[in-house]
Amino acid sequence: MNRRIALRHLALISGGLAFIPSCDFSSDDILSAYKNLKITQSQKQLLGNISNVIIPAGEIKGALDIEVPDFILVMVNDCMDSEQQTLFTTGITAFPEFAKGFSSLGNKEKEAIILSGQKLEGDETEAGANNKAISFFLNTTKRFTIQGYMASEYIQSEVIPYSLIPGAYNGSVLISDIQKPRING
Amino acid sequence: MANLNIRNKQERTYEAIVIGSGISGSWAAKELCDLGVKTLMLERGRNVEHIKDYPTTNMLPYEFEHRGQITQAEKDANPVVSKCYAFREDAKHFFVKDAEHPYVQEKPFDWIRGYQVGGKSLLWARQVQRWSDFDFEGPARDGFAVDWPIRYKDIASWYSHVEKFAGVSGNKDGLPNLPDGEFLPGYDLNIVEKHFQEQLKKNYGNDRHMISARCAHIHGNADFYAQQGRAMCQNRNLCQRGCPFGGYFSSNSSTIPWALKTGNLTLRPDSVVHSIIYDEELGKATGVRIIDAHSKEMEEFYAPVIFLNAAALNSNLILLNSTSSRFPNGLGNDSGLLGKYVAFHNYRAGVSAQHEGHSEYTTSGGRPTSGYFPRFRNLYKQETDFLRGYAAGFSASRGVRPNTEGVGMELKENLLNPDQYGPWYVGSHMMGETIPKESNYVTLDPNLKDPYGMPQLKISVDYDDNDEKMVKDYLEQMTEMFEKAGFTNIRTRDDHRAPGLDIHEMGGVRMGKDPKTSLLNANHQLHAVPNVYVTDGASMTSTSTQNPSLTYMAFAARAAHHAVSESKK
Repeated sequence: MNRRIALRHLALISGGLAFIPSCDFSSDDILSAYKNLKITQSQKQLLGNISNVIIPAGEIKGALDIEVPDFILVMVNDCMDSEQQTLFTTGITAFPEFAKGFSSLGNKEKEAIILSGQKLEGDETEAGANNKAISFFLNTTKRFTIQGYMASEYIQSEVIPYSLIPGAYNGSVLISDIQKPRING
Repeated sequence: MANLNIRNKQERTYEAIVIGSGISGSWAAKELCDLGVKTLMLERGRNVEHIKDYPTTNMLPYEFEHRGQITQAEKDANPVVSKCYAFREDAKHFFVKDAEHPYVQEKPFDWIRGYQVGGKSLLWARQVQRWSDFDFEGPARDGFAVDWPIRYKDIASWYSHVEKFAGVSGNKDGLPNLPDGEFLPGYDLNIVEKHFQEQLKKNYGNDRHMISARCAHIHGNADFYAQQGRAMCQNRNLCQRGCPFGGYFSSNSSTIPWALKTGNLTLRPDSVVHSIIYDEELGKATGVRIIDAHSKEMEEFYAPVIFLNAAALNSNLILLNSTSSRFPNGLGNDSGLLGKYVAFHNYRAGVSAQHEGHSEYTTSGGRPTSGYFPRFRNLYKQETDFLRGYAAGFSASRGVRPNTEGVGMELKENLLNPDQYGPWYVGSHMMGETIPKESNYVTLDPNLKDPYGMPQLKISVDYDDNDEKMVKDYLEQMTEMFEKAGFTNIRTRDDHRAPGLDIHEMGGVRMGKDPKTSLLNANHQLHAVPNVYVTDGASMTSTSTQNPSLTYMAFAARAAHHAVSESKK
């Protein structure tokens, strides 16, 4: 049984006396689109929050605006092996305990927590295993956030358009003659 | 009923049958059709029509769900083909999945295949370097395999013939070991590649060269190629998806539509060849038995001339499976050598480094090729403790490296406004000649069948001591050349990949002068069944170091003209 559902049942049985963290369980179903991961709606929300800290919105849209969390989950679900998937889901599950009250923190504090979480190191203990998973989860999330963002339709058509035809080769271009380096196509 | 059968047989009779539609088969068919021969081309895979059947060719990076990556489920289901560098989201539909055509690895061998009209010509690396007599004379000089029954003079004009039509860009480099051909303008080397070229000259005199590799891309003479419906290469480097411009040579863009236009070609996809039919009374081959890929029904087609171009190992498989009381061990196999002396190219090793100089320069645009080192080892005489040598690829590149440190607004700014160029990276990979040996062979598994009921091919091919010494020498020599050129942070690798991943498997039906020690004569005819021609990789007596496709094209064209001149006698 899912840990959160188990908690909710416990709360009901004990007449609502159990302490429940302040998040909305009403729609916390497992998302069937990522069948290898058993990710819940609220975990996806958390992933969205984290990716939006990694690449925030501004004048140019941020990661959450262009649905990068979907891309992250597709990549983890489809392109990682089961060991990596377990690390990822263990990490996302352990993250709220590591970053208590994450969603109500200010931007700078959120950034600091993500940066410190990326550097966590594992050891043989249960807490160590969780630390290893948290750092794997955050590093994976950052990597796929960057990839999903930069290789998005929005960036590659509206911000830095991708060129299918890059032009003839020039093998000795003075960098000082280039206005802006080309990165797409 | 009898009349119906006769008519039916007439309808299934042609003047020539070509088995296979890849690079060599399509060249045989194109030449036969140009010479007025009514030709049936059999292809085991589905039809792939130029442009229409290139579903990914104009897709943008973000239109690929996994941005090009192969999924874990695909990797798990395809441990062999997923090792291939080009088996990615944009081109995976042109590769044979492992379960589609199983085979037995007596020793590890990655058999990479493309079953469709056009075969692997859609996927190849398009490198086209000629052989010279340093290559054709190798076995005789160094005492391995058997002497090639042909020399450069026999094939030179055919190289020219296929180069002009296919479109080959390159420079006249004037190297005796890599003869010049009919070239469209070559592509430029970049400033660091030229630096390396100068350093080689300075440090090794005229002994070692690095040139701009000749490639099968249209880089000039656009009007001529317009006759084929092809246009100039646009430097997209998306070749493996199929090129909507026909900018590189593929059977699909060039030889097959050309042959169809003559009205002489009948193309039959979805036709898995079972065997070549041998008539004991006539003492020759009379046709080909196929299994229809959809109905699984067996059918026969007839012709007085058969070209076998199923790709090296499948051509072996078909001959081994073509048994009769005259040839109980496979068609034309009087010598008992069919399937033996298989060889390949050794791609195990590479060297990479950085270059501190030329930091004020970068490159722009794209090009479809890079640098090429023709073989320099043991060229004029034996000088090492191993036989033969290696060619090598070489390239230098430089890119913008966004700073991915940190998170938040600063990261976003850095990603969207990259202004830091990384260092110049240089890299090389070896392409080693391997020595054909009787102990490297393919045979038919006595029990296991594929989904069509055909025996599975059992592959037993391995490296030997000569290959190990050559890997070591390549790593030492390339490291020395890199050091002398001033490159830094030099890293060597030997990935110990299995044979096969080079996708240059060759031999098993080798050419030779003597029917006792070879299968094919100097004209690519089976010694014992001269109306069967084998002009693909199976026919190779030795491998040399050059990417082999250009040589298969020339072989196929030459043999097709031979077959037509024989039929007029």
